[in-house]
Amino acid sequence: MSRSLKKGPFVEPKLLKRIEEMNRRGERKVVKTWSRASTIFPQFVGHTIAVHDGRRHVPVYITENMVGHKLGEFAPTRYFRGHIRAEKGTRARR
Amino acid sequence: MRSQQTYKYRNQQVIVPDGYLAVGQIAGAHGLRGEVKVELHTDYPDRFAAGVALYMGTNLAEMTIESVRPHKSHLLIRFQGVYNREDAEELRGHWLFVDEADAAILDEDVYWVHDIVGLAVYDQDDRLLGEITDVLFTGANEVYAIKPAPGVNQDKELLVPAIATVVQDVNLEDGVMIVMLPNGLIEGE
Repeated sequence: MSRSLKKGPFVEPKLLKRIEEMNRRGERKVVKTWSRASTIFPQFVGHTIAVHDGRRHVPVYITENMVGHKLGEFAPTRYFRGHIRAEKGTRARR
Repeated sequence: MRSQQTYKYRNQQVIVPDGYLAVGQIAGAHGLRGEVKVELHTDYPDRFAAGVALYMGTNLAEMTIESVRPHKSHLLIRFQGVYNREDAEELRGHWLFVDEADAAILDEDVYWVHDIVGLAVYDQDDRLLGEITDVLFTGANEVYAIKPAPGVNQDKELLVPAIATVVQDVNLEDGVMIVMLPNGLIEGE
C-alpha cells in the first residue's frame, strides 16, 4: 500500500531542518545522514549529502533531476569491485 | 613476448595486453547457431557492429563480427567462422579487446577509470590526502575512494565526490589530482 497523500513525502525532520538552516545562512557543508528513506526535496538541490550505505557515508551531490527520489537510491549497498583496464570512463568534474 | 598487466576481477585473474582495452567478456554460447553472449565492459556499446574486428584472449586472435543483437543486458554476437554451438562454447570466458588507438575519444573532464585509480590526491593546501583505490558509480556523481595517507581522516577510507567544485585539477602525467574538500567531508575537521 502506498503512503497516504495527506501526509506528503517522508523526510527525516532533522535532516530537512539542517538543510533549511544552511539555506538560510547561505552555507554549504556535507551533511551526514543515515536516513536512506528520506525523499529528496527541492531545498536539497546544490547540497552534498553523505548517505550511509551500511558501512560508510557516500557523498552525493544533489541535482534538480534527483528531486522526488529517495536518498538511498544514490548510495548503493553493494558495489562492483575490481576495475580492469577497460573502455570505461569517469567524469571527474560533473 | 608482449607485455601485459594482470587484474583481479570476480576472483579471477584477467590479463590485459599493454596497448589494449577490454570491451567485453564472452559469457557463454547462445542457441545452436554459434552465437555467443557478451557481457559489456565499455561505455560505447555501438562499437559492436557487423564487420568490426575485435581481439580475443591474450594471444589477440582477430575476430570479425558477423551479426549483433541485444539480449537483456548482454549482446548476442556471431563471429565469422563460428557457426555451431560447440565452437561457440569454446569461446566462453574469453575477453574481447580493442586497440587503445581505436578507443573512443573522451569528452573534456572524462578519464578512463584505470587512469584515475592510483592517482595521488592533494588538497588545495598541497597536503597529501592519499591514493585513489577505486571509483564508485552511485547513480548520481561518481565517488573516488581514497586510501588515506597517515593521519588523514583518522586513517579511515576517504570518499570524495567527483564534482566540479571538488575536483580542481587532474594531471595524469604527474599522477596527481588536486581537490578542494567541502566542509564536513573529513572526520574531525
